Amino acid sequence: MSTPVLRVNDLRVYYHTARGPVKAVDGVSFALEPGTRLGLVGESGSGKSTMALALMRMIKTPGRIEGGQMLLGDTDLARLDEEAMRQVRLSQISMIPQGAMNSLNPVVRIRQQIADGLRAHGIKLTGKELEVRISQVLEWVDLEPAVAQMFPHELSGGMKQRVCIAIAISLRPKVIIADEPTSALDVVVQRQVMETIKRVQEELGAAVILIGHDMGLMVQFVDRMVVMYAGKVAEMGTIRGMFTQPMHPYTQLLISSLPQLESKGELQGIPGIAPSLLNPPTGCLFHPRCPKVMDICNKKTPVLQQHDSGQAVACHLY
Amino acid sequence: MKTFSVLRQHPLLIIGLILMAALILFGPIASLLVDPDGAKVGSAMPEQPPSAEFPLGTDAVGRQLLPVIVVGTPLTLRIGLIAGAIGLGLGVIFGFLAGYFGGWVDTLIKGAADVLLTVPGLLFLVVIATTIKGAVSVNMMAFVVASLAWMWPTRTIRAQVLTLRERQFVMVARLSGMSGLEIIWRELIPNLLPYLAASFVSAVGSAILATIGLEALGLGPQNEPTLGMTIYWALYYTSILRGLWWWWGPPIAIIILTFMGLFLISLGLDQIANPKLRRAA
Repeated sequence: MSTPVLRVNDLRVYYHTARGPVKAVDGVSFALEPGTRLGLVGESGSGKSTMALALMRMIKTPGRIEGGQMLLGDTDLARLDEEAMRQVRLSQISMIPQGAMNSLNPVVRIRQQIADGLRAHGIKLTGKELEVRISQVLEWVDLEPAVAQMFPHELSGGMKQRVCIAIAISLRPKVIIADEPTSALDVVVQRQVMETIKRVQEELGAAVILIGHDMGLMVQFVDRMVVMYAGKVAEMGTIRGMFTQPMHPYTQLLISSLPQLESKGELQGIPGIAPSLLNPPTGCLFHPRCPKVMDICNKKTPVLQQHDSGQAVACHLY
Repeated sequence: MKTFSVLRQHPLLIIGLILMAALILFGPIASLLVDPDGAKVGSAMPEQPPSAEFPLGTDAVGRQLLPVIVVGTPLTLRIGLIAGAIGLGLGVIFGFLAGYFGGWVDTLIKGAADVLLTVPGLLFLVVIATTIKGAVSVNMMAFVVASLAWMWPTRTIRAQVLTLRERQFVMVARLSGMSGLEIIWRELIPNLLPYLAASFVSAVGSAILATIGLEALGLGPQNEPTLGMTIYWALYYTSILRGLWWWWGPPIAIIILTFMGLFLISLGLDQIANPKLRRAA
């Protein structure tokens, strides 16, 4: 095991609303090894995107990082001042945002949009060097150099998402966060885009955090997976371990809700809805929906514990 | 080629542009043919109706009206352009700062703009204009008008920026490590250029209107024959009652043409900037 490139310790992000604090991320810890891919899954409102924004330090008021550490190498991102954080964005840690359709400025040429990121990090290049750099970045994501001269409306959805990836990798960051990078794309393009991210990531040796709720995509793409529920980690471990032997009832339900080719039975969902974080249930946050609920579940909050199988799980069953 | 086809689709814009170009060129070109000294007091017999010698007649103190118009039109347009540019410039700066950064910057700028908007502009300008000692120059006139021309652009640009800054590409720019001012300059302003062009036209229009209003009250540059001052003198010497139509007629005609030109341009630019107003092709 090499030293992790990113360590998140007990991160807490609360949104301070008029009706009290919403604990969107509540004591999340995980480590990211260099060159690996980590999946972050959970249903809407489970704190995945807040997690990503917190790592980029882009939480808007009334949200605030209440505590915990986000160690990128030796620097704690939670404690950097704004100017230092601005320097870190894109050069050390970058993010491919959700929704490629709106992520590019409609009235600015692609070339300029890639150059803006370089310029913001004080990279001064002559016109010719800049052109070379931009076509190289575009080539990484399988786009023609001619795309540089185009406006976003001249590109397809997949191409726009590739441009977003190109911008995200243009400074060779150590960590790339991909927040549902393929949510607006059809499956064929989805696969191509994921392949591109995977190839580029391997070439750069960067680590990737893939955020999403598509378990099928996760299986194909990530090495390790973190399942979040209501702002807390429910279970984490290797993707193999979690699919062969899911421990947390929530993970089990997530996996069994995937359609199977062999069994033609009715598709299974998870009954109920995600809890209100303003007024969370007592004890284990999942107990109102849990099929294996026990007496202790509504009294005591389970802590995340490492198990022999290699997974860490927060559940009273184990 | 693309520019031409855009122009052909917007005849209003073309007519407006031609009208304004004609008005702007009218002064410099006509001053080659007409002696500007004719605009000075006592250069001719007073109160002469239009004739071969004095094509637009003369006023009560012996100014020839044709040279007055030739000299006055560019002066009035200049005040409008300077005041409009300063007003919109301040509006752009304040509007972008308030809209993008929010917080106390926004509270301060929006508060100041809101308070000044409620003050009757003309009253305010009258106070400023009367406190200026000595003769008012054309440029000073422009600054006085500009001092009250920035609030409306500030408000409207701020509103535009508020909607723009929530767009995803602004977030992407921040994710790319761009700073606030870089984002305003490189991401937001390009999106607002058509809107700013249309705002500039209406800013010039309201500046000219404010100028003429002040001047018609006698609070303009007394020594310069601007259009507004010509109207003031025409009123002062009761030219309407005495039937000296060649005195008050021409400046009013030029003012009407100016506003028609600006209105058509602004209408045309609006059609380009706001696709909802485009005719179904």
